[in-house]
Amino acid sequence: MTFLRVVKAGVVLVILLILQLELFASIRFFGVMPELMLGAAVASGWHGGPNDGAIMGFASGFLVDLYLASPMGLSALSYALIGYLLGIISELIAEDVERIVRTVISLVGIVLGLITFVLFGELIAEPNLYNKNFGKILVVGGLYTGLFIPVLHFLMEWVFHQSNYRNSQIAMARVQRN
Amino acid sequence: MAVPQRSSGSRFTLAILLLTSVTLISLDARGYEPLANLRKATTAIIQPFRNIASTVFDPVADAWESLSEGDTLEKENALLREQLSELLEYRVTTEGAVEELAALRTQLDLENLGGQETIVAEITARSVSNFDPYIIEIGKGTQSGIREGMAVVSVGGLIGRIEDPGLRSSRVRLITDPNVNVGVLAVGTNEIGILSGGGVGQPLKVSDGIPVSTDVEIGSIMVTSGSERSPYPGGFAVGTILEIIVDEINLEKELVVAPTGQLENLEFVTVILYQPANSDSGGGRQ
Repeated sequence: MTFLRVVKAGVVLVILLILQLELFASIRFFGVMPELMLGAAVASGWHGGPNDGAIMGFASGFLVDLYLASPMGLSALSYALIGYLLGIISELIAEDVERIVRTVISLVGIVLGLITFVLFGELIAEPNLYNKNFGKILVVGGLYTGLFIPVLHFLMEWVFHQSNYRNSQIAMARVQRN
Repeated sequence: MAVPQRSSGSRFTLAILLLTSVTLISLDARGYEPLANLRKATTAIIQPFRNIASTVFDPVADAWESLSEGDTLEKENALLREQLSELLEYRVTTEGAVEELAALRTQLDLENLGGQETIVAEITARSVSNFDPYIIEIGKGTQSGIREGMAVVSVGGLIGRIEDPGLRSSRVRLITDPNVNVGVLAVGTNEIGILSGGGVGQPLKVSDGIPVSTDVEIGSIMVTSGSERSPYPGGFAVGTILEIIVDEINLEKELVVAPTGQLENLEFVTVILYQPANSDSGGGRQ
């Protein structure tokens, strides 16, 4: 990751964290809030590839961990894995995949992230994460976060691709002039 | 969309990150002090931004709450009216219980409870996770004398205890958490039972420590025991007994208890600046 990307990623993650803590913690559907930081890990995996996806996932999970009562590192572990996984998936499928496919894959990634978080929590850290609300959290939390997937992809595209985009625009302009 | 090529470097990065995460989990579980300090320092850096965001978003959150909880408030209103009429019916009993509580306090030499130093703190955030609904955040921390494990009360009684106090903010773990245990006794008895949370919106339970021979009644008030090992000062109301179930195998009574402390729609809470003589800051949930 270049320095500029690190700065942009930091700004995006902090803004998302503050939105999650101060706004969406209060705006809940059926008592469930969106998992914006997990969504950010998913989107960063998609746009940054497995390496940057894992790093961004770790960073977003670590930021969340600062505010959770669950052991520090649990979200970082789960989100890093999901960022990496989405990075691999993004490499395996066609570049110009339809937005709807990208959204569905991101949704599955978010649900997988929630399951991974609870699974690791139950296995190694916090044995009380799985409760009777888990199904509701998966469904409502997944769909609620899904509403923000286009925005999250837009933000991560900005973090990872703006310079490439600008270069390609310049290149295209040169081609047209020729 | 340009997709970067995967290399063996990404697997190495993932392995390092996973190892770091597991190390963090392990260190946090052991209560490693520098990690706690890192958490405090980072949250302190982000806090000013949160304060600004809070000022902006609070009206939005309030509007959402009033929209989404309109029906709930009506139901709650009806329930409260019902409870009020029931309370009026049991007024004589309650008055008796209050007298009993005063007598018990005298008996346990807890006359000076009123003299405990307290501090009022504003609730700055509810639970910020889908998986842990038993946490609230308050806007006072160690700078105001708050320490790990201190009791937190609201109108009506005990609602939780301080967990992970920061410099200017702290978390409160509510007594509705099934992992929280509180030593309690029914007013007028000396048998100490262990009260634990039953989950969100569920009553509390005392499933250990009350012998079948103990004379407890529905409607009796349960108060903190204030025993030597308890982190809570004694004599604070925790709940009223809703149901008594006799466990004939263990010869104990299981009590279903309604919390007396207000847990919903709170704006402020009071922290009792009390630490037992043998307190440690281990962060247990006892």
